[in-house]
Amino acid sequence: MSVTTKQVGIMLLALTGLLVTGWLVFDSLSTHGHAAFNTDNLGIFWGFPIVIYDYFLLTSTGLAMVATMAILFGGDDFRPIIRRAVWLALAGLLGGVAVLMLELGHPLRALWAIPFSFAFSSPLYWKVMAVSFYVLSLLILLARMLKPDWSMADLRANAVVTLVLALSVTAIAGVVYGSQSFRPFWASGDIPVAFIFESLLGGLAFIIFFSYLAYAFNPAAVPASVKRLFDDRLTGLLALAIFIHLLFVVARMSSGLYGNVEGLQVWRHVATSPLFLAEVFLGLLLPLVLLTYPGTRIRPWAQIIAALLVMNALLIARYEYIIGGQLVPLFKGAWAPDLLSYMPSPTEWLLLLIAVFLSNFVNAFGEVTLKLGREGSAHP
Amino acid sequence: MAKWGMVIDLDKCTGCQACTTACTMENNRLPGENWQDVLFYHEGTYPNVKLMWFPRPCMHCENASCVSVCPTKATYKDPDGGFVLMDYNKCIGCKYCQVACPYGVRFYVDERAIVQPDIRGVFPSDTDRVWDPPYKGPHDDPARGIGIQPHGVVSKCTFCYHKVSKAPKGVPDLDEDIPALKEYVPACVRVCPPKARFFGDLDQPNSRVNRLIADNRGVRLKDHTGNKPQVYYLSGGATASVPSLRSSRASGQA
Repeated sequence: MSVTTKQVGIMLLALTGLLVTGWLVFDSLSTHGHAAFNTDNLGIFWGFPIVIYDYFLLTSTGLAMVATMAILFGGDDFRPIIRRAVWLALAGLLGGVAVLMLELGHPLRALWAIPFSFAFSSPLYWKVMAVSFYVLSLLILLARMLKPDWSMADLRANAVVTLVLALSVTAIAGVVYGSQSFRPFWASGDIPVAFIFESLLGGLAFIIFFSYLAYAFNPAAVPASVKRLFDDRLTGLLALAIFIHLLFVVARMSSGLYGNVEGLQVWRHVATSPLFLAEVFLGLLLPLVLLTYPGTRIRPWAQIIAALLVMNALLIARYEYIIGGQLVPLFKGAWAPDLLSYMPSPTEWLLLLIAVFLSNFVNAFGEVTLKLGREGSAHP
Repeated sequence: MAKWGMVIDLDKCTGCQACTTACTMENNRLPGENWQDVLFYHEGTYPNVKLMWFPRPCMHCENASCVSVCPTKATYKDPDGGFVLMDYNKCIGCKYCQVACPYGVRFYVDERAIVQPDIRGVFPSDTDRVWDPPYKGPHDDPARGIGIQPHGVVSKCTFCYHKVSKAPKGVPDLDEDIPALKEYVPACVRVCPPKARFFGDLDQPNSRVNRLIADNRGVRLKDHTGNKPQVYYLSGGATASVPSLRSSRASGQA
């Protein structure tokens, strides 16, 4: 079976999954509305759908950062992953935005109400505007890369604009949470910076994983240029990004555990939760070992597992952060517990599958139709 | 132009919830989704337990964080009166205002009902409104968040805009004991049995609310957030008090 045939199989599988989960979610939401979610007015206002949205958004910007920095600073070695990263950034964003639309009370109204509100004081207004220009910039970049003889030198201006927009979207996403001073679990001036590093980490993990997926996880089918790039550059960068992310996690956890501000007690709950431990030990430390130990770092299986673990760790990190910041109930009286509890409902889990299937379908469609691995001219 | 504000004397509040009930009736609130509530807290463990209560409406902040974060300007500060209001026609239900409100006084009611049975199923609505109760207030102004809440939007206390905004111009205080003014008094203030609530114009130096704040060292809740509430609390240290914590962590129960 050829790689392209397997890609078609992946595409059809993703489409089938999308249709099934889409039908289930439609049935659930049309029957129960947002009561199908486990969010409530006690304090968990933003639940798993927002986690999914931000996860996919930041993954998208991370992939865009990888692609644009590769164009600007990477040289020809990075050529094999650039088009794939740009397309994947669009696919991921589509999955995230689809979930956001299902979470909003009035998604269609949002399409006109936000752009024409000129609500300059709102981080969400700037986030939406930045995302809009970011998508436009990605589309222009992609369109220029569709030419068979696309050249990295010609794309520098586009890459600068896209990089600035990707950084802006990510930083503003951090400001949305970091500016909430009365929620100490969220509030910190370094959150936008932490988001940028998390985003970059996600971008690196996703491009490695989906590059292997493009070749149906068959190392023999992976072109030598791609394998060389992974072995020489990307695995090292991924390990460095994991390390930096770990520093942010440890720093925030230490401050949180020692801090005495009302609201930081959430850290005691988070730091002992199995999810958090899985994130740190399985999702970050294990990949770090796999990617730095000489015996494993150039092994395709180790690279795939490391990337997959990081992808999951970042989803957990996004979940712990967004939900954790809302666990202390605000003025709800003794009938609300000291810390709220929250578990995603089945419908909310289905939203994750919708995002995954939609992104994978779009990605596989691009792999099949656009031949994303096509490298273009090395020397214009 | 007036800047309406409320003073709540915690030494007089008995926690009877008459304010909550009146607000619920006046504004057709769903059970448990109380724009105005009296919150009960307890500290300590048996036999050394202290029960406290705390009345909490929307603070109608001068510098409201819910207003500044709204991406569609659906929530806004009314320049004539200082009300913080919702425009249901602009709200997209993103809930950022709920997240950004330090006082927990905003409500998105399309989710699971807090109080069972879910009364929305008992009185379902055929329109875009969340429910259709047998008794409905006569006022309906979606651009100011008045009337039964539609689906997919966030709602909040309006300081009974539909009453207060009709008050004669220049009145320093809206006192339920003055027959000519009682129809303009917010529902929670009007029904308060121990008269723990006062409502007036904070921009008039001689208003009763200003005198109460000055004479009794009125405080604003969580003033450090910079929101500058227009609701002030008076407390001489009797039963009711402003809780310093949002949880009972300090009492060893966390």
